[in-house]
Amino acid sequence: MQDTLNLDNGGSVFLGLSSTSLRVGDKLQVTPHFRGVEKEDYLCNYVWNLNGSWEKGDFDSTIEHVGHNIAKYSWEFVPDRPGRYRIAVDIEDSQGRFKGNVERWIIVAGQNGFLRPPVPPADAPTAVLADDVSMIFNIASEQFNSLKEYFIAAAKHELTFKEFRALDHISFEVKRGEAFGLVGTNGSGKSTMLKIIAGVLEPSTGEVRVEGTIAPLIELGAGFDMELTAKENIYLNGALLGYRKDFIDEHFQDIVDFAELDGFMDMPLKNYSSGMVARIAFAIATVTEPDILIVDETLSVGDFLFQQKCERRIKELVESDNVTVLLVSHDISLVERICDRVCWIEKGHMRMIGETDEVCEAYRSLQR
Amino acid sequence: MASDIEPAEKDMATAPEEAPAPQAPAHTTSARDAWYPAGKRDLFILRELVTKDFKLKYRRSVLGVIWSVLNPLLMMIVMSFVFSFFLRYADIQHYPLYLIVANITWQVFSDSTNAGMMSIIEAAPLLKKVRVKKSVFPIEKVLFSLVNFLFSLIAVFIVMLWEGVAPTPMMLLAPICIVLLMAFCVGLSLLLSALAVFFRDLVHLWSVLLMAWMYATPLFWPVSMIEQVPYHAVRILMYANPMYNYVTFMRDTVIYATMPSVEVIVSCVVWALISLALGYAVFRSHERRFILFI
Repeated sequence: MQDTLNLDNGGSVFLGLSSTSLRVGDKLQVTPHFRGVEKEDYLCNYVWNLNGSWEKGDFDSTIEHVGHNIAKYSWEFVPDRPGRYRIAVDIEDSQGRFKGNVERWIIVAGQNGFLRPPVPPADAPTAVLADDVSMIFNIASEQFNSLKEYFIAAAKHELTFKEFRALDHISFEVKRGEAFGLVGTNGSGKSTMLKIIAGVLEPSTGEVRVEGTIAPLIELGAGFDMELTAKENIYLNGALLGYRKDFIDEHFQDIVDFAELDGFMDMPLKNYSSGMVARIAFAIATVTEPDILIVDETLSVGDFLFQQKCERRIKELVESDNVTVLLVSHDISLVERICDRVCWIEKGHMRMIGETDEVCEAYRSLQR
Repeated sequence: MASDIEPAEKDMATAPEEAPAPQAPAHTTSARDAWYPAGKRDLFILRELVTKDFKLKYRRSVLGVIWSVLNPLLMMIVMSFVFSFFLRYADIQHYPLYLIVANITWQVFSDSTNAGMMSIIEAAPLLKKVRVKKSVFPIEKVLFSLVNFLFSLIAVFIVMLWEGVAPTPMMLLAPICIVLLMAFCVGLSLLLSALAVFFRDLVHLWSVLLMAWMYATPLFWPVSMIEQVPYHAVRILMYANPMYNYVTFMRDTVIYATMPSVEVIVSCVVWALISLALGYAVFRSHERRFILFI
């Protein structure tokens, strides 16, 4: 990723953008500036790509060629949907030899103009309160797979454990209506924290207080049975989330419509793609307004159109002021688009907590 | 608080006057209308899980649910052929009926404990994500085996017709036995499912134990043979065997139209209570640690 390319004859190209942050419908001017060389000696290909991510660094999934314009050195680009775009210009010399490329990111906000939902007032009631939470796992230094081994070791007093601190004195408060992000590298303790909030794991010390109903996005393989049809799975999953039966009856069509899977409802789930399953999971979890919506990495499975739909829905929920969203991801761009506050956990320690931009900037600088 | 309070119920109690969101999008409902309070929620989960198991069991088989009737019937035919020709147990009155009643009773027990034992381990992906009452899973397996049992009762009626045994009012006592047997199975499934989380060996051990237990129970051999066991202690053990008592209760009420003896009734009740108490105690004291082992 570079905005300047040094050419082998001493010249250089810099990718000029009229803005790096704009709204849907705004016009972006893309202009490569050549220095020290005649631009007429070079050809440029202009490419943009939506929702590429920093981690993956791949952009083959949604590449869209907008123009291959020979002898053109400035383009207008009008994004039609919100998201994070990668703008790139490939440089070739007059013989058509590829010399390299220049690229930059831009962020495009939705039509309503809010890149992120409004921050709830300071006196809003607390939805999740983590109070000095530590999680210690005892890792058996030996693995006991049978009763016999266990009893022999117990009799010899050889049952020793190694302590592993997955979370170390984590404290934060999430207000009702807030969109709160948890970021961190793999194995940093994000998911452990989430499990504690969801109530499936109890912290070793400290306390987590949660006010209200929790709707986790139940991912592929959990709660869904691949042999059952989509319809049957919707009922099963709804039951596990605690929905009333008459409520599911009433809103069944809404779920199907949101997932855009009309006509596939009597097909066993094993014939679905993982993205389709993710659609159903998301549709079920957000058909009503849970007090707390937990969004894990599930979203990354869907295609980009559905990801955007999910984002819109999450924002809708957040803007209703009743729903608290907890987003856990290592995809920093998703967190940046949705959350208003972020907690960065690294190796079980709380590295940073605060405004999204601040924390994400610091987190990103670690990655480089 | 991450303890035992169910969030939904707590919320309903503390914020009843709260108005629904004024500008909720058209396809959303106020959160308050969507959720069950804790108790009802578990019942709905149980129902959905039993439905799921039932659908999966017969999906894509041509005869479908008829197998629930056909299976015990065919088993009975094979066993009655084997045992009456080779082992000469044919002198038992209404031997086919004697067999099928015991078999379906045993089947409930072995199905529900086998499936119940694995239930927590199999629900692991779910338990790691969602806060669900964990005891739902072993209990569901017992209920599912009860559903199969109820279907196999049709097979019993067919055999009764064949054998010319008329239904009697005494049969109305059989449901009491079934309820007690259910309680016994629930307790044992809770116990086994909790233990299996910590020691997977149990899964292999249990199938062996079940087999030994099956042969020690007069399912296909005559009850009178217990008297021929030379050791007094073994005889007591065989009479105390919970499955002997449940099977005898069923046979007495269904086949012989007699009141089961006081000893049998008391044993059935006591075993059900012991099993429930033990299973519940062990399950409750260990369920919080399940998540660390699954």
